Amino acid sequence: MSERVRESLYHALLWLVSLIFFAPVFWIALSSFKTAPQILAVPPLLFFRPTLANYARLLAEPAFQHHFFNSVALSVLAVLVAVAVSFLAAFAFSRFRPAATNFLMFLLLSIRMLPGSAAILPVYLMYVAFGWKDSFVGMTLFYAMFSIPFSVWILKGFIDGVSPRFDETGLVNGASWFSIITRLTLPQVFPGVVAALIFNFIFVWNEFLFNYIIGGINTSNIPVMLATGLSNGGGIDWTFLSSLTTVYILPPILMVYFFQRYLLVGMTFGTVRGEV
Amino acid sequence: MSHIRFEGIGKSYRGRPALEMINLDVEPSSLTVFCGPPGSGKSVLMRILIGLEAPSAGRILSNGQDITRLTAAERSIGYVPQSFALFPHMSVFDNIAYPMMLQGVPRAEITSRVDQAAEMLRIRPLLSKRPSQLSGGEKQRAAIARGILKNADIFILDDPLVGLDFKLRESLMEDLKDMRTEIDATFLYVTADPLEALTMAEHLVVMDQGHLIEAGPVDTVYYDPTRLRAAELVGFPRCNILPGRLDMPGAICTTALGALQVSLQDGAAATETMVAIRPEDIAPAASDSAPLGVGEVTLVENLGSEAVVYVRFGETTLVTTISAGATAHVDLGDPFPFMIRPGAPIVFERESGWRIGRASPVLAGTRND
Repeated sequence: MSERVRESLYHALLWLVSLIFFAPVFWIALSSFKTAPQILAVPPLLFFRPTLANYARLLAEPAFQHHFFNSVALSVLAVLVAVAVSFLAAFAFSRFRPAATNFLMFLLLSIRMLPGSAAILPVYLMYVAFGWKDSFVGMTLFYAMFSIPFSVWILKGFIDGVSPRFDETGLVNGASWFSIITRLTLPQVFPGVVAALIFNFIFVWNEFLFNYIIGGINTSNIPVMLATGLSNGGGIDWTFLSSLTTVYILPPILMVYFFQRYLLVGMTFGTVRGEV
Repeated sequence: MSHIRFEGIGKSYRGRPALEMINLDVEPSSLTVFCGPPGSGKSVLMRILIGLEAPSAGRILSNGQDITRLTAAERSIGYVPQSFALFPHMSVFDNIAYPMMLQGVPRAEITSRVDQAAEMLRIRPLLSKRPSQLSGGEKQRAAIARGILKNADIFILDDPLVGLDFKLRESLMEDLKDMRTEIDATFLYVTADPLEALTMAEHLVVMDQGHLIEAGPVDTVYYDPTRLRAAELVGFPRCNILPGRLDMPGAICTTALGALQVSLQDGAAATETMVAIRPEDIAPAASDSAPLGVGEVTLVENLGSEAVVYVRFGETTLVTTISAGATAHVDLGDPFPFMIRPGAPIVFERESGWRIGRASPVLAGTRND
């Protein structure tokens, strides 16, 4: 078998596996443009007259607006808080290397590795005691706290790669530490910051368990809505489900598509300084 | 203009000394080169002067004022670090303008001064580029421009030419000298390269293993060193160092090259010695005069205007330099009759390394003991 044929076969196999993985996403997106009978038709309809009625109904639905707003606001705010705090922490770990830095970094990451179900009870009791249950600020801080360890890990790797000579040049010329961090270091680790933002956004956007337990009517997000609010007259409301799911999965997919180069660089913790 | 005084400066890292008891005066408006092998402490001393590190002992005075505890920003010292440290996300213009931007200099003045510095360093067409688009020499020029544009009267250049090719170094050395004359500031220049040190220096400070070995005008340090280590470290090609034995009375030092008549400084006694002879003080003997010895040429390194010749004489290998014109007559394995310039060899006490006198070769029949 020639090299060219073998390469074509590999590519065909890759396409096939990719399409199999993408099939559920394609099915749900396609269903969002169908009527209920078309969705339930056997065999499935591939060719049909698409309708936007499902989206019109979804966007007009106050519950959707409320949950979508919560998902966006919680994800954006928590991630911004987490990355801002993490950046300063990572800078301190990288430049001032407090005693037992490596152990502290290990502790940070080990907290992140804790399964959510192991932490849910103490977190629930704590939030009830503080009066933070179903509080927007409480949920934002919780997600930020959960996002910080991983962000510190990513950002420290990037900041380690920036020579301290830049800091010294700033110091000698009269720059404050704040100016050094924001004007000299931050622009050089921008890919790492973007990677941290995306990783954490996807985590918060997808999070269900904590939102379900320590959230409530004011703070519940789309995953909670998907799990709890889709039955219609005893059955599943497939048209609503498909349009809601499509809207829900769109932001992470677009993010991964447009920022995949940053994600690849981020996954190496800054050890590979890709040209991005 | 700033007069700088280092008083008993010491620095140690986790109990390991990096600098010990550095006492030194740097004259205003001088170009002082700090020279020494890697790890000698010269860069640490500069970092302490800039304020990037605190000394473990001693203090630094600038015009009589103690600046030891001032922050780097408060010291008003321009600095060109060893690595270029050009900010990759800024244009060359913004890099050069950075110190003035921080100092709040008006935009029009910044533009004019950046243009002036860029003109002087021949990087004007590069101002809109990013550092990643520059060659090594261009980056270094940009870093130098940024260092000198700070409003300061002391400038530290920490091995600014390291890693550059010879032609570029030569041209940048000229530029730096011209620039210093123009801005009339105190320049402290750090290098591990003895040739660069000799080319640049008005005053030379020799450092080794955290100690200040020798300091003074460059000619004095080169031709009249008081320490053996200074003779070893300063000079290219390297100085010939021969063991010897000084016998009294008569002050005759016996070496592998024969007897040397030593003109002793006060208080010297019979002792084991080391004799330093600069390569240029060993010359081919004239055909009509008796040579001090006849060696065998083992290697000739042609440097263009001159050649470095390695001559084996008994167990000793001597290094000497001859003019380019004379190289045609020197081949590997050739006999090499040589002379030593009277008064050139410097005799040091072996144990302490301090100079005890100068010597002249004792030719047959001239010994006076």
